[in-house]
Amino acid sequence: MTDAVRWTSPFCLLLCDALRVRADPAGHALELAEGECAAARIGLARFTAAPSTAAPRVGGREVAPADALDAAARILAAARQPLFGGLGTDVAGARALYPLARDTGAICDPAAGEALMRAVRPLQDRGGYSTTLAEVRNRADLVVCLDGMPDGDAAELLARCDIGTPGSPPRRLVLLGGTPEERAALQALDGQGGLRTQHVPLHGDLFDTVALLAALAARRMPPQAAPALQALADQLLAARYGVLVGRTARLPAHGALIVEAVARLVATLNAGTRAATLWLGGGNGAGTVNQVFTWLSALPLRTRAGPHGPEHDPVCFDTARLLADGAVDCVLWLSCFDPDCTPPPSALPLIVLGHPGLAPSAAREGDVFMPVSTPGIGSAGHLFRADGGTVLPLSALYRDTLPALPEVLAQLTQRVRGLRAGARA
Amino acid sequence: MSSLRLTGGLVIDPTQPGDGVRDLCVRGGRVVAPDPAPVDQAFDASGCVVMAGGIDMHTHIGGGKVNLARLLLPETVRDGEGCGCVPGTLDTGVRYAQMGYTAAFEPAMVASNARHAHMEMGDTPILDHGAYVMLGNDELFLQLLAEGGAAGRNFETIRDYMGWTLHATRAMGVKVVNPAGISAFKFNQRKLDVDEQHAHWQVTPRQVVHTLARALQALGVPHPLHIHGSNLGAAGNIESTLQTIDALEGLPAHLTHVQFHAYGREGPMKFSSAALQLAEAVNAHPNISIDVGQIIFGQTVTASGDTMRQHAQARFGSPRKWIGGDIECEAGCGVVPFRYRDQSYVNALQWVIGLELFLLVQDPWRVVLTTDHPNGGPFTSYPHLIRLLMDRGFREEQLARLHPEVAANCALRSITRELSLREIAIMTRAAPARLLGLPDRGHLGVGAAADIAVYREQPDREAMFSMPELVFKDGVLVARGGQVVATPVGGTHFVEPDYDRGIEKLLRAHLARHGSVHFDSIAIGRDELCRCCNGGRLLPAACFQATP
Repeated sequence: MTDAVRWTSPFCLLLCDALRVRADPAGHALELAEGECAAARIGLARFTAAPSTAAPRVGGREVAPADALDAAARILAAARQPLFGGLGTDVAGARALYPLARDTGAICDPAAGEALMRAVRPLQDRGGYSTTLAEVRNRADLVVCLDGMPDGDAAELLARCDIGTPGSPPRRLVLLGGTPEERAALQALDGQGGLRTQHVPLHGDLFDTVALLAALAARRMPPQAAPALQALADQLLAARYGVLVGRTARLPAHGALIVEAVARLVATLNAGTRAATLWLGGGNGAGTVNQVFTWLSALPLRTRAGPHGPEHDPVCFDTARLLADGAVDCVLWLSCFDPDCTPPPSALPLIVLGHPGLAPSAAREGDVFMPVSTPGIGSAGHLFRADGGTVLPLSALYRDTLPALPEVLAQLTQRVRGLRAGARA
Repeated sequence: MSSLRLTGGLVIDPTQPGDGVRDLCVRGGRVVAPDPAPVDQAFDASGCVVMAGGIDMHTHIGGGKVNLARLLLPETVRDGEGCGCVPGTLDTGVRYAQMGYTAAFEPAMVASNARHAHMEMGDTPILDHGAYVMLGNDELFLQLLAEGGAAGRNFETIRDYMGWTLHATRAMGVKVVNPAGISAFKFNQRKLDVDEQHAHWQVTPRQVVHTLARALQALGVPHPLHIHGSNLGAAGNIESTLQTIDALEGLPAHLTHVQFHAYGREGPMKFSSAALQLAEAVNAHPNISIDVGQIIFGQTVTASGDTMRQHAQARFGSPRKWIGGDIECEAGCGVVPFRYRDQSYVNALQWVIGLELFLLVQDPWRVVLTTDHPNGGPFTSYPHLIRLLMDRGFREEQLARLHPEVAANCALRSITRELSLREIAIMTRAAPARLLGLPDRGHLGVGAAADIAVYREQPDREAMFSMPELVFKDGVLVARGGQVVATPVGGTHFVEPDYDRGIEKLLRAHLARHGSVHFDSIAIGRDELCRCCNGGRLLPAACFQATP
């Protein structure tokens, strides 16, 4: 690949798609030729400009693909309660994973399952009112960042929404809490485009702060209880379209309660003006797999196909908890995008399907590792953007030598069915 | 090429002059002329009624808001009969097929969510499917309409933008939801009557409806504008509904879930049936077709693009939780659970109004049987609804259980009409196929797709329509006695209208200034559509030659 090609990044929560990618002059690495996305740069650095030559391994030794599949199938066929973790894949991977999960009764929980559930559980309990990137870009006159600026794999949020970019419309950006560095970054944005910035310190912890803000907006507290928050509540009530932005991964334990309190605040605001939330999360495939499993089964992740029908338990079906309790007896770990997303340590039989760099994480005797292609690098695919509705196509940068995950899963599923049928016969 | 013969069944095909007992031959997935040659499979259909496979032309089966409804209500899966009021796609396909339905259309696809909608439908086994893309609340359309002024100077641009949108999203038609109202809600308007101006764009729903209907006709798209009108669910909204018909000025249109749009303001509760008024209007306007959106008592969830009305109705929801969203400067979504109760005056009246509409509109070719799944009730209640329409005694038994004031005073009491099997076949198959422009569906004439349902003739029509003896999809047996025996992937219906590609320049510039995706990421190519739809067949529907 010598010429730069238009490219949609699978590594960014916002699926930055105004980018161009090329091989570096030496032809070894992939680099951005146009556009900016910090998460895309980090993601691209995990790959070379040529397809990987990695081979499947069993017990750390290279084997033929069929042997690796046989070994993986034996593990799954013998398991009584498998755990499917990581879940770093795209729509096609999730579609192919579901039949295997259903056949084996596996519990499915993504790598950042706790963060994902911080968004899912409040929807189940209370609902919420959300918005999307284009709405923020065109409509928001007040944006409040909850306990931190968008960073990491959401670092492009402000640029994507024309917040503090040259020529951007007048609006106010508020940082509620955050670190000193983030306050400095906020201040640097002041006056960029039509942007005014403002920092409001937390009043207690984030939950206390948001709960207080919601009560102040609803006029259920005397204003003198927290004057700075009262001023922010008044600004939100006076805004035409206020947006509360947060990152689920940054929330503390019981962060679902914070998401719920923000939903309460937005409901209050929507009684008289317009407001919405933008929770960013579900990266590395988790949000996408959650969508797919929800439409196939009617239930989100942290579900298993049990003997009496589907069982959903957003608290107990947590990878760390299941492993600590000895409640599962094998692990199938998927991570196509990120070689650093490794399976948690355990003594259980392990199958890892994913980025070639994951090989060392499945090198014990009996462990199975199969490298697979990464959607958006070696193969085409689809991911959901973090704001929920937009699905973008991913294209291959080169013709991969590694198989795509759906092919591997289809073969694995066939083998597991064969072994189970044989065991019954 | 596989072949089969169904012998001795009473074939009810409303496109043919009369019903009668005859054999039906199928070869290569199509109905063929009677042929004594040996066949691969023969089925005895004596004592059975043979109809084309059912077609549900308005059922929320795929896309963002449907999945949000699932996220909102996990308890209905746990407490229900296994799949809740919004089943997963796998159950949806199976349950439709078990009732003899072979096609279903998602009526509210958000353009930016089109891939997702197609993916869900592709994962709905057995059924062919398609979707109507939503326009009329997107800021670009409203801007073009506003800037074009009353003289409609931007009409060609709007038509081409519509053509491009249909092409890019691989839609089967266009739906407008609360014309201009979803956008108006984003500008904090809480109500928008048909002749009321949008606070920002200064256009009215009347202009929106007329322009969209005209543009769709100019593109030659067979299914006319699919309209979810203004003021859904509000007492007195019959006025808006009649004004919407008036706004069309004779242009063809399909008014959807009209039960929710046929409310008067009479009586002690200031809430009354306006079914008679609406039925008279439909009878008098041959350009109008409807589907009813019958409500069924019990727990369900309403999933709609109409944020303005869903926000207003959320306080009546049960359980008290709901999800709303503003989407990409083009749409919205509101998901509100409802429990319809027969002892509620309002719900009982809604039930009555739906049935009155079915029975008062004279031409069955312009009335389609729906519950607006899941909004009025789950599609699995269709057999019950069919019995209500075909069996007056049963209907009166049910009526007697309602809120006493409704039971005592409603016009439904005096309606004696009982629909015939032929009329049911029209409302559930032949009419939707015709309204969608699917010449080889909805009937059993030579050349038709062999989507066939064989029902055992029984006096209890609910039992009869609940479980066909046999169901075929494209000539393949998919269900037998209520058991699904094969789950082929369904095909995707869509249209490919001609439009001026020059529109792309304007769209590219608009997206660069206001959008959140690159223009080149938007359009779904045929190969990609095939992948989204799980490898199912692509079934492009022909457009008609538009008259200038």
